[in-house]
Amino acid sequence: MFREIKRALKMHRIFIVQELKRFMEYKGDFITGAIGLLLAQLCSIIFISVIFSQIPTLVGWSFNEVMFIYGFSLIPKAVDHLFFDNLWAVGHFIVRKGDFDKYLTRPINPLFHVMAEKFQVDAFGELVMGIVLLSCSLPSLDIEYSFMKILLTIVVVIFASFIYTGIKIGTSAIAFWTKRSGNIIFMFYMVNDFVKYPIDIYNNVVRSVLTYIIPFAFTAYFPALYFITGENPLFNIGMTIVVAIVVMTIGVLIWNRGIKAYESAGS
Amino acid sequence: MIYVENLRKEFKKTIKEPGIKGSLKSFFKPKKEIIAAVKDISFEVNEGEILGFIGPNGAGKSTVIKMLTGILSPTSGSCSINGKNPQKDRKQYVKEIGVVFGQRTQLWWDLPLTETYTVLKEIYEVDDSRFKKRMEFLNEVLELEGFIKSPVRTLSLGQRMRADIAASLLHSPKVLFLDEPTIGLDVVVKDNIRKAIAKINAEENTTVILTTHDLEDIETLSKRIVMIDKGSKVFDGKIADLKEKYGQMRELAFVSSDENALDILSYAEKFGLEGDDLFAESDGASFKVRFNSSIVPVSDMLSYTLSKINVKDINVKDADIEEIIRRLYKEGVQNG
Repeated sequence: MFREIKRALKMHRIFIVQELKRFMEYKGDFITGAIGLLLAQLCSIIFISVIFSQIPTLVGWSFNEVMFIYGFSLIPKAVDHLFFDNLWAVGHFIVRKGDFDKYLTRPINPLFHVMAEKFQVDAFGELVMGIVLLSCSLPSLDIEYSFMKILLTIVVVIFASFIYTGIKIGTSAIAFWTKRSGNIIFMFYMVNDFVKYPIDIYNNVVRSVLTYIIPFAFTAYFPALYFITGENPLFNIGMTIVVAIVVMTIGVLIWNRGIKAYESAGS
Repeated sequence: MIYVENLRKEFKKTIKEPGIKGSLKSFFKPKKEIIAAVKDISFEVNEGEILGFIGPNGAGKSTVIKMLTGILSPTSGSCSINGKNPQKDRKQYVKEIGVVFGQRTQLWWDLPLTETYTVLKEIYEVDDSRFKKRMEFLNEVLELEGFIKSPVRTLSLGQRMRADIAASLLHSPKVLFLDEPTIGLDVVVKDNIRKAIAKINAEENTTVILTTHDLEDIETLSKRIVMIDKGSKVFDGKIADLKEKYGQMRELAFVSSDENALDILSYAEKFGLEGDDLFAESDGASFKVRFNSSIVPVSDMLSYTLSKINVKDINVKDADIEEIIRRLYKEGVQNG
C-alpha cells in the first residue's frame, strides 16, 4: 500500500514535469488559455459589483461575503481543473476513438494514468482569481484567524476538489457504454456556476439539487459559510468531507464497471 | 506459452434504419442485435515462435489481439499467456508483453522522442543501467539516433513506427503483439522493420504475434500462420503446408512476337479451365497466364504454348502466398 502510494506520487510528478515541458513548447497557447479563464471570471465579478452598486445586500449577504464565496468556489474547481482535466477527453474522444487501449496495456491503474497524464496550466487563471478574491474580501470580513482554520481550509479545498473529480469520473465513465459522454460531463459540470453565489438566494428546488443530487454546494457555499460565520463546523466542514468521499466512491464504482464494458474501436 | 481456448467475443449492435426517421426510431426504440466478432477460436503459440495472424478486413484479428492483450474481456472462452490471464492479472501481465497498434501511437505527441522513453522507463520500472543498455540495443536495431531528439509530431510514419516498436520493447517483454506494424510504409522501411523484428526474435527469443495484410511480412518472418475469416479459424499450420494444400495456382509470363497470342492460344477451350482456375491477361507483346496446376500440369501448359506461338522469353512464378490467400478469402468459411 505504502509503496503503491509512493509510486503513484512519483508517477504523478513525472507526468507533471512532462506536461510542463509540453507547456514550454506551446507557451503562447497556454498563456492565452489562462488569460481567457481569468477574463471570464472578471466579467462575472464586474456583473456582481454592478448589482451591488444598486442594492446594499443580497438576501442578507454583503458584497464582500458574496465575493468570498465566489472566490472560495473557484479554488477547488481550479485544483481539479489543474490536475484532472483529462477526464473531459475520456468523455469526448479517448473512448470513442479507441485510444483508451493504451492505458489498458500499461502496468499502472488506468484511471490514475488517464487522470494524471494532463496538467492543465490554464487553470492557474481560475486559481489566481480565486486567491485574489479571497484576499480582497477577507480584511472586511470579521473572521478570526487561527492555525487550525488555515489547516481546515487546505483540507476542505482538497475534499471539495474531489467532489468535482468524482463527478467527472462518474460522468466520463458513461462513455464506456455510450461511446461519448462529453455533453453529460458538461451538463453536470456547468451546474457549478450556481454555487459561486450563496445558495439561499435560490428557491428550494435548486437548493435541494445543489445539496443532495449534484452536491456542488459543498464545494463552496457550506465550507465558506463556516469560515464567514464560524458556525456549525460539523455540518459545513464534516459533510463536505463525507460528500466528497461518497461522490468519489460512486464515481470510481461507475468507472470500474465501465472499463469492463469498454469495446475499443476498430483498427 | 500462449494458449487460446474457445475464445469468443460478442458485441451488441444497435441497428439503425436509414434517414432521420430511422435514427429517431432507433433512439426511442433501439433494436439491438448481437454480433459475434470472434467465434470460439482456439490456437497455441510456442515460446520464441513468430505467428502470422491473418484474415480479411473485419475478420476479427484485432478483436482477438485486444482480448489477448487484456484490452477487451472475452464473452466466453479463455486465454493464458505465460500462465497468466490477461483480464485477471492485468497489471502483472502487461509487464510481460509489448503491444504495437500500427494505426495508433503510444508516443507523447508533442515532446521529443526521448521523453517518451524516459516516462515509459518509469511506468515499467526499468532501472537505470538496464534502461541504458536497452536503449543502446534498440538504437542499434531500429536506428533511432537520427530522430530521437525530434518532437514526435515531426516524425515520418516510418520513423514513428520504429519508435513505437522500440517503445513496446523497452521493458524486454516476453511476448510482442504487432497489429499491422508495416501499414502504410514504403518498401525499404518495411524491409528494415521486418529485419528488426527478426533480429529481436532471434536474439531474445521473443514470441511474436503479428497481424498484417502484407503477405511479405508473413513470408519473411513466420513459418506458421493462423488465418481467420468472419470470426472463425480457417487455417492453422505451416506456410509450406498452405502452399501445398492450396498453392496449385501457377503463373507463367511470356514475351512473344505474336500480337494476339492469347486469341491464338485460347487456353480456356483447349484445357477446359474456367472460373478461378484460369486468369490470362496480355499487355502488348507480353502476356501472362495464371492457372490451376493440379488440373493442367505446368509442363503441359508450357509445351502447348511453345508449340503454338513464337516465344522470346519465359518467366515461371512460384506458388505465391498472396494468390493462395486471395483464393482462401474468396472461398471464405466454407473450409472452416
